[in-house]
Amino acid sequence: MKPRTALLLLLIFVAVAFGTWKFLSSRAPGVGDHLDVYYTKLDGTTLGRWTVSMRPPEPGESAAEHLHNTVLYAAVQAVAGPPSDVAAIRFPPGTHVLGVGVNGSTATVDLSKDVETQSGGSFGETGEFKELVYTVTGIPTIDAVQVTIEGSRVATLPGGHVELDTPLRRSDF
Amino acid sequence: MNSIRRFVARTSSLVACAVLLATGAARAGSASYLFEGRPLAFTHLSHAAGAAAVGINDPGLRSLLRSLGALITWRPGERYVLITTAQAQIISFSVGDRSYDVGPLTSNAHFAPYLLGTEVYLPFADLLHALSLAPERDGGTTVLERELTSIDVRGSGGEAIVVARGAGSLTGHLVHEGASSLVYEFDGVGSTLAGTRSVNAGGVRSLDVRVAGSVRAPKTFVTLALAPGTKHDPPRSNNGDFELAFGAAGSAPPLLAGASAPVAVAQPTAAPAAFATDTPLPGPSLAPDASASTPASAAAPQGVATVGTVSVATTATGATVTIPVTGNAQFAWHRLRAPDNRFWIDISNAQLASGPVDQAEADPVTALRVRQNDAQTVRVALSVDGAKDISVSPSATGIVIGVGNDVVADAPRFGSGSVGTLVSSNEPQPLVTPVPPDEYGEYPSIADADWKFGPPSAYVPTNPKLIVIDPGHGGADIGSTRNGVTEASLTLDMAKRLQAILVARGWQVQLTHDTNVDVKRTAQSSQEAISDGYHSTDAQDLQARDDIANNAGARLFVSIHVNAFINSGPSGTTTYYSKPSDVALAQIVQRDLGANLGTKNDGIIKSRLYVTLHAKMPAVLIETAFISNPDDFAKLTSPDWRQKVAETIADGIDQYTARYPVQSANQ
Repeated sequence: MKPRTALLLLLIFVAVAFGTWKFLSSRAPGVGDHLDVYYTKLDGTTLGRWTVSMRPPEPGESAAEHLHNTVLYAAVQAVAGPPSDVAAIRFPPGTHVLGVGVNGSTATVDLSKDVETQSGGSFGETGEFKELVYTVTGIPTIDAVQVTIEGSRVATLPGGHVELDTPLRRSDF
Repeated sequence: MNSIRRFVARTSSLVACAVLLATGAARAGSASYLFEGRPLAFTHLSHAAGAAAVGINDPGLRSLLRSLGALITWRPGERYVLITTAQAQIISFSVGDRSYDVGPLTSNAHFAPYLLGTEVYLPFADLLHALSLAPERDGGTTVLERELTSIDVRGSGGEAIVVARGAGSLTGHLVHEGASSLVYEFDGVGSTLAGTRSVNAGGVRSLDVRVAGSVRAPKTFVTLALAPGTKHDPPRSNNGDFELAFGAAGSAPPLLAGASAPVAVAQPTAAPAAFATDTPLPGPSLAPDASASTPASAAAPQGVATVGTVSVATTATGATVTIPVTGNAQFAWHRLRAPDNRFWIDISNAQLASGPVDQAEADPVTALRVRQNDAQTVRVALSVDGAKDISVSPSATGIVIGVGNDVVADAPRFGSGSVGTLVSSNEPQPLVTPVPPDEYGEYPSIADADWKFGPPSAYVPTNPKLIVIDPGHGGADIGSTRNGVTEASLTLDMAKRLQAILVARGWQVQLTHDTNVDVKRTAQSSQEAISDGYHSTDAQDLQARDDIANNAGARLFVSIHVNAFINSGPSGTTTYYSKPSDVALAQIVQRDLGANLGTKNDGIIKSRLYVTLHAKMPAVLIETAFISNPDDFAKLTSPDWRQKVAETIADGIDQYTARYPVQSANQ
């Protein structure tokens, strides 16, 4: 093999390897084109789910950015709940996601103050946070959810029941 | 032919709307639109690909979303712009991507959302369409008209729920009620659904939609033709949807599960001349009625649907036939009476994407045939090996037919529905699928045969005769309420009853509070627990309750509560727990509560509840009943029932302590 040919092949190999690495590193691991969104049924504990489509990573979107966007998408879907004809435990009207963050394997979901307008009882709170946690931790690499209210950590909701000052995990429910 | 005319008219109209918005934007980057009689100034307008774009920080857009009860989620640097509608539906745009989702449906926008500076600009026409709004020209003014976009009929046979959905929360006013018809008026709402549809469920024979009024003040009338003796409940609002429940003669209307509040319904008033009759109106076909429709009726796209490759998959319970459908279409299905077990479904307004199919399949579907039956109808026919159970459901991507292995008698032999943005079905929609309960290691079964008592607690009480009882809430926190009855008063009453019983049985008992007051933080441990500064007074109160039990070295901690929900549906008794060492106590107490109280046995549920988590000893939180449920509330207000609660909990404590004796202390 001539040196020029060998050099050319080497350059092609390097280019292909770099392109492959760039492509793979731009993707959040395991984030596919669909996302399972969970809801808690009216028995207070069992879960149902539906699937929403996800967009593939944009060119130039880093793995961290894609993960952030995926967490946001998941949290908003979980808080909105399933189609209205599905009987489910739902967050109080008006509750919406103000923002999300990702720190290692913990996602932070910042909720609007509307979440504090609970009807009372462990039933609603448990169901709401369970569906949020199951949805967001369905994203690979995320295993816990820290809930904040309007940017602040709280121990519980006012008059509430579920402890919120540490990240919630699936094993909490 | 009507479909083609409708397709042309609506497509032309949508293009015209986009151009109309675009030209307004191109002039000045700002424009004023009329919405519900008031002007909205849009100042963050631009255009791309010949269509208008609106910035998500536009004050006019924000005002519009507020009026519709919609919430927008986006922060700089984020890719998704997510809008949650009043019906809890997500409209999802993605920067740089033309595809956007409205709930489960994906569409292509005029252009991809893009960043201009730090603000995302969205395709305005597509956003309005997703919000069920139609821009209509009225002289020199553009009116953003709210649309009634779908009427869904759920149920079959003796009962049906009619669900109307559109922009924001829909409120219908009853304007005529007769023996054989009801007429509801939706003020300020237009629609593209003008026409008559056959229903034949729940005593509802058909429904007719007509649009009247003007561009600035549209009205949509929905007339329901009823069979004699049909019963109906008052309309309800469910997450912004307008719901009406009907029961055919001899049947009660179905329960509107999840309904949150009655819809304001006006007393019947003089009906418009066109509706002042009890006779079902001879409605037009689903093609637009030029005399009844406003220009809004041509705003929504209604193209010809495409039917993709039909597949048959054998499952453990039979077979699933999947019919991919792209676009909006209506379907009607029929099955012949046994022993001729043929089934077919006609999808109208549809074209077959590929050639006809005629092939043998494995049981229970023995043959599949697909063909273009006429210019506008695709027919999918099945041969089935017996009078098998068959279900037909629209899905997010088309139609799913389930064929079971079981032979059924008197199975329905026809039905209809639609796929796409106008959703109608006589079957539950399969958008949501149940999750196998064992996937999460839950305790789904509470049958006696399945009792598996939890591990003994490693906790050693310093006072093994002491039980701490925590009446839920109290003081400034009254908990849930109904008719002036507070959760705090009920829990305190039940706690005192339990205290008396346990003391009589030789236990020492301490209540976390014996009057209706806040439980003050007293212990150093709680001071340490809240030293990081973000704990609320509520958490201090909860920690103080745990401190009483922890500091006293109590044997058990039992918190008594009353449950509540936003509607009256849920009921029953549940025992919550948090730690592994709580499980056995929860199971034993709940078993007797579920058996003795006459409430629904909701079992035990694990949750990260503050008071049970931070109690060092086995701890449970008992939600005795739902104050929000009328039947449960009647029980809660009965002293005898509350006494039974106390006695049952005491029995459970005795059973638990007998089964799990303290190893290193004398009882």
